[in-house]
Amino acid sequence: MFETSKSFLVIRICTILFIVIGIVLFLGSRHIGLVFLGAACVLWLIGEVLENGKKHLIEVLKSGFKTIRLPLAGIFLAFFIGGIFLLITGYQPLKSFGAMIYGGLVKNWHVSILNAVPLIFTALSITIAFKGGLFNIGAEGQYYVGTMAATWLGIRFDLPSLVAIPLIFIIAGGCGAAYNAIPAILKVKTGAHEVVTTMMFAYIARTISSLFIRFNGGDPTLSAHAYITDSISESTWLPTFKSFLPQANYRLHIGILIAVITALAVHHILHRTRLGFEIRAVGLNSFAARTQGIAVGRIILITMLLAGLLAAFAGVTQVLGLDHKMFENINAGYGWNGIAVALLAGTSSIAVVFCALFWGALDAGGQYMSRTLQTPTSIVEIVKGLILFLILARYLFRYFRRKA
Amino acid sequence: MNVFIELLNAEFLIASVRLATPIILASIGATICDRSGIVNIGMEGMMLMGAFFAAWAAWKFANPWFGVLVGMLAGGLFALFHAWATVSLHLNHVVSGAVINILGFGITRYLLELFFGHPGTSEIIPHSLAEYRFAIPLLSRIPLLGPVLFNRTPIVYMMYVVVILFVWITRKTRLGLHIKAAGEHPIVLETLGISVKKIRYIAVILSGILCGLGGAYLSIENGNSFSEGMTAGRGFIALGANIAGGWTVVGSLIASFFFGMVDALALRIQVLGVFRVPSEIFLIFPYVAALLAVAGLVRKSRAPRALGEDFQIERSGT
Repeated sequence: MFETSKSFLVIRICTILFIVIGIVLFLGSRHIGLVFLGAACVLWLIGEVLENGKKHLIEVLKSGFKTIRLPLAGIFLAFFIGGIFLLITGYQPLKSFGAMIYGGLVKNWHVSILNAVPLIFTALSITIAFKGGLFNIGAEGQYYVGTMAATWLGIRFDLPSLVAIPLIFIIAGGCGAAYNAIPAILKVKTGAHEVVTTMMFAYIARTISSLFIRFNGGDPTLSAHAYITDSISESTWLPTFKSFLPQANYRLHIGILIAVITALAVHHILHRTRLGFEIRAVGLNSFAARTQGIAVGRIILITMLLAGLLAAFAGVTQVLGLDHKMFENINAGYGWNGIAVALLAGTSSIAVVFCALFWGALDAGGQYMSRTLQTPTSIVEIVKGLILFLILARYLFRYFRRKA
Repeated sequence: MNVFIELLNAEFLIASVRLATPIILASIGATICDRSGIVNIGMEGMMLMGAFFAAWAAWKFANPWFGVLVGMLAGGLFALFHAWATVSLHLNHVVSGAVINILGFGITRYLLELFFGHPGTSEIIPHSLAEYRFAIPLLSRIPLLGPVLFNRTPIVYMMYVVVILFVWITRKTRLGLHIKAAGEHPIVLETLGISVKKIRYIAVILSGILCGLGGAYLSIENGNSFSEGMTAGRGFIALGANIAGGWTVVGSLIASFFFGMVDALALRIQVLGVFRVPSEIFLIFPYVAALLAVAGLVRKSRAPRALGEDFQIERSGT
């Protein structure tokens, strides 16, 4: 269906390779990684020129600038309003935001990346559902299921890493997909709206998770070990960058690479395969899709299963990569933040990666800010909400222009 | 069999009403909002705002009645934001609702730290509305129904008033007719010279006020402090009740009461320890009930025709 020339394909593969090498080096605290990332950008440009011609490229860049202009304005405005909020409530906005930027981008940049990993997965889950015209508002539930499955398997598995880790990904991802199958079937068979059903499933998963923790080592009588499961066996830990790049931060794990590759894979599925075409067709107009002979019910089911799988992956990377056990985390918030990131990325799975990094940096910076200046971290939540609103409400600017 | 008789007594019904009250209030709000054509999935956030500000005002001024008022006001103002975003800025309703929820979580957390100095839970309010329980003289003597319905705390009585008021509004008044028309055929309403915008604003704000009242119930009548995320999905359960109840006030009332009963049942099973399983498992009952009700009943009811559709008129020359 989509014909592509061979040289273009080679350049694309090279670009991806460069991106991966660049990211790996950068994550290993070697700044030469940035050079590779720059080279990847150039390669991408060359690829675009080869594929579609120069004029097309200029148009792409122009429209790219146009699409990024309003979001940037929105971000600045959100910080401005947040700053006023801080000022009124008696904190120093400039100093606070300065600390936030320093903490998120310079001092604790690895925390930003760690925060972004699960967000990329949940946001991808919501993005793919959006493309199919569905709102997977309960991604948090599938995240919990993925976490529980990964912890359960991780505690019991005694296999070499190379077997255990992929196996956990597959099984836990399958659990997440299966968990989302019920709302999907309800949607297809009865028309029950997925906003209500997936949300209910999210609360069910959250309730069950505290039980799960109790049955896997959490003991309420021990205050030190109350709401934490036993640790998973070390063979199932995701490798950290430190194991092959000695300068890297000791907590950074390869989950970010898996996340980026997944984002590219989702992009590929959505835009280069028959399935993706059908998902998008159903999302744009399910009646038209049906008249074209697409089995709408089947596509809805597949979309929801994929969404469940991706959200479960978020839980898996979190357990295998960072925590190595499961906490009772009442407000993990990866579901809601995933929604925010997906909306911010405007349903583009590549933009999801960048938006998730931005979101993760906001969180990391907020933590640093509250540690150093005692400004409440929740100002970050407010700024996030404002950013989201200002970027989404594209009519806002037109509205004020009309009023003026 | 004995077990079930023990489960279903007056105490059980009293608990059902107690647990159903916030859901009933929010689901009537959802009904009004949906009937005007605006989808409201931001009720969770609106309830949180109501709960927080009610607790704050009740603590600050040591007067729970003031708390109710402030809670309703906070819910209404927050809903005004939803109305502005969806009606005036033409933002997708579901997206705006999601933003409302995110902002609701964030703002309550921030203000909790600011006003009370620590995250998690607020200070315990000096007087809760539960102190104002009173029995209606004659009605409370009716066997079974008396203690269940007519020996209650203030917001429960307010809930009765709300139910009657909104049944009356939707069935008998011009405003009710306009709200329904805005959700079915907005263009017809506009042609008659009535502003769809205005009607939708009114409906969304009404739903926010009801959510605020429901939230206030949680923090200053049912409990005596605010804690983060204390609504625990009740906004979404109310949304489910509204759908299961076929987008009518009475239907929402019945469905919400059913969810309240399921909630009470879960509590009673937990207390009595009937089954030898961990008690937390029963906490999922209301969610499962909402799920099944929505899945089972959604076919039988019809959503307002223009629900979730943006309404926009291009006026030339202005």
